[in-house]
Amino acid sequence: MSGLSAFGRFELLRLLRSWRFLAVTVGFPVIFYMLFLGGRSPGKIINGTVSWRVYLMVSMCSFGALVAGLNAGGTRLSSERATGWARQLRVTPLPPWSYVATKVTVSMAVVLPVIVLVEVVGAAFGGVQLGLAMWSELTMLLWVTALPFAILGVFVGFMVNAETAYPVVTVLMFVLGYFGGLFTPVSDMPHALRTAAQILPSFHQASLALALLSGQTLVADHWPVLAGYAAVLGLAIIWKHRREEARGLA
Amino acid sequence: MTRVGTDETKEPDGSDRCLGRTAKTPAVRFQGVVRRYGQHLALDHLDLEVGRGETLALLGPNGAGKSTTISLLLGLLRPDAGSVEVLGMTPHQAMAQGLMGAMLQQTSGNGLPPGVRVGAVLDLVRRLYPNAPPLEVTIDRSGIGPFLGRQTNRLSGGEAQRVRFAIAIVGGPELLFVDEPTAAMDVEARRAFWRVIGKLGQDGHTIVFATHHLDETDYADRVVVINRGRVVADGPGATLKAATTSRRLQFVVERPDEQLLDTLEGVTDVKVRGTGVTLDSLEADATVRDLVRKGVEFCDLEVTGVRLEEAFMALTGGDVGPREGAR
Repeated sequence: MSGLSAFGRFELLRLLRSWRFLAVTVGFPVIFYMLFLGGRSPGKIINGTVSWRVYLMVSMCSFGALVAGLNAGGTRLSSERATGWARQLRVTPLPPWSYVATKVTVSMAVVLPVIVLVEVVGAAFGGVQLGLAMWSELTMLLWVTALPFAILGVFVGFMVNAETAYPVVTVLMFVLGYFGGLFTPVSDMPHALRTAAQILPSFHQASLALALLSGQTLVADHWPVLAGYAAVLGLAIIWKHRREEARGLA
Repeated sequence: MTRVGTDETKEPDGSDRCLGRTAKTPAVRFQGVVRRYGQHLALDHLDLEVGRGETLALLGPNGAGKSTTISLLLGLLRPDAGSVEVLGMTPHQAMAQGLMGAMLQQTSGNGLPPGVRVGAVLDLVRRLYPNAPPLEVTIDRSGIGPFLGRQTNRLSGGEAQRVRFAIAIVGGPELLFVDEPTAAMDVEARRAFWRVIGKLGQDGHTIVFATHHLDETDYADRVVVINRGRVVADGPGATLKAATTSRRLQFVVERPDEQLLDTLEGVTDVKVRGTGVTLDSLEADATVRDLVRKGVEFCDLEVTGVRLEEAFMALTGGDVGPREGAR
């Protein structure tokens, strides 16, 4: 349907023209990678699996996907809901479900280049060496598993008003990043935090990718947790959307 | 109606469905529509019909059921009972087919997406409609040419309102709904706006607008007042106008003589409370002259327009507001 693709293109361009969004999503993971790389010896093996440089690259891919997903939805979405643009779209021929669907799709579309960019930085500056097949498998895996983050961003945009969306996004970014073990390996954390990480989608996303690279068998139910996050957050958005629709213009 | 020709040119498919709709069904039809919010009965068996090509003004105090009516019309709500039809189909279908355009009232913000140029927004909305006229037509009608290239967050209130109007008409909808369209406009912009509405009406568009400005009902073929979830008045704007030329005179007299006051020129209603007198008059000037002539020693004279609801109460003889029924 041409209207739907026009809307998708419009949303994507609008997102890519936001310097704030670009600065945050490109800047954070890339700068953190460069910054933390020298924190330990890049070749040091982490928890008997992969080297620090590889761990950090995967973690920053994960963090980049998280930041992109949260910021593509989050503040932007709640502010345009506040200005009345979201409501205006409801009185156009655009199907009612397409607003949420397009937001998630566009988030996913920007997550991919962020992952690739961090990988390029990892290869160029971090000295990460992988075969072509592994690169593409890793990229696909990180991308697909970023879906809960894209949905989380839209969820925040729907649930939180424009003023509080900004701090909420910021807190989520660092809570999910740090406690998900993206800055410091979970294996280096005290026991309580190691347990806490188990409930965070960021931990499971990065774990899947690290398991792929180290050839290890999976230690936890990463897939079900990620799918659960996607489903629960998605249902919550649909519930909120329906509830608002039931109120009409009032 | 002569509208058949107009519609054929607007919808080149010229299908039977289209002609059938045009010839038989009205643009809008509410039949026995009931809508509740919990205990609150927002619409109480509302019946309303808007003819094709008609320009209708929708009036009503807050909480009267106006925004519920609008939400149902635009397909944003479903009725609990009764039926709502737009152009012979459900509002939802009419919306999905691009037959409706709407300019909503803004409570906060300017109703436009941030971080994009006006032209891009218009281009997007236009692409959502299957039978949109050339963009130039909309630019010309809405007068937004000068700020097409501007960022949406750099528009004044009046400019943003014109852009929202452009969004409402850019798809070439058959039925146009506008809610309080001139709220942020200056006098000049208002005049220009109603000129365009007039032109759209002449082109065969059906237009429904909600307003709080009595004088704006001049631009409607018909005025409908909704209150307590029902249509309480329905007639040409002129009738309304006549009803609202009524004025209220309030003053203080030491010993009010109700019988004498009742005989004053133009007076339609007399209320006395202690020394306070309230008169409703169709000719305030004549009433005041008569007061002086008959030697009534009044002070603190105040002349005000009769409120819209009260004017309509006079029109319909009905009970209009939640306010105590006066009289």
